[in-house]
Amino acid sequence: MGTLTIGVFSSLIGSMNLDFAVKLAETAADKGHNVNLWLSGNATTAAKKGQKEYKDYSYLIKKISGLQKKGVQVAACEACSEARGIHAGEDIIEGITSIGMDWYVAKAAKSDRVLHIGVE
Amino acid sequence: MKLGIFYSDLRGNHDMLFRLKGEKIGVFLVGNGIYHATIKEKGEPSPILQKKEIDYYVLSEDLSTRGFSTDEVDSDIKVITYSDLTDLIMNDYDKLAWL
Repeated sequence: MGTLTIGVFSSLIGSMNLDFAVKLAETAADKGHNVNLWLSGNATTAAKKGQKEYKDYSYLIKKISGLQKKGVQVAACEACSEARGIHAGEDIIEGITSIGMDWYVAKAAKSDRVLHIGVE
Repeated sequence: MKLGIFYSDLRGNHDMLFRLKGEKIGVFLVGNGIYHATIKEKGEPSPILQKKEIDYYVLSEDLSTRGFSTDEVDSDIKVITYSDLTDLIMNDYDKLAWL
């Protein structure tokens, strides 16, 4: 088995790229791969607590906590989060690490595959 | 280098796609990129499908959520699941790009 690191910039609502990244991470984890998921830019909106679930909106809180239970490491860019008023400790979903980009670079450097989704 | 390229939009930068080089290239049509596999404009297939040396794949889940069935897919394109996609990127393509 290998290690896959996925980095995502896309918004939680309005783009399906984050939904895609979460499903790919879930599938890879189910197949026994090590998976790291890095949320930065507008993707940090997925790390915020208190999201309300509406039928026709992307709601990924349960999916992301499901990933964590499968051993996927999920981190959110601290600067991108803070810039969006999403403060470490108060606003970020438990289990998601709020940390600098060096986490992402280090994970990517040690991964077999890296997929960076840099668009909306 | 074996390059896997994700294409997630209908209106994209086709030039960029054709400038990317590798000993093996695979294009994964996901999200709205699946329309390249299913619709013809002016009776012509999508311009991105014209490279014979590229392997084309389309994600079945994104096809069906948009109302397409696998038999509406261009015959040169392989329909895959998330599980197939994971195996392809972990085994067959060592570098990945998202356009």
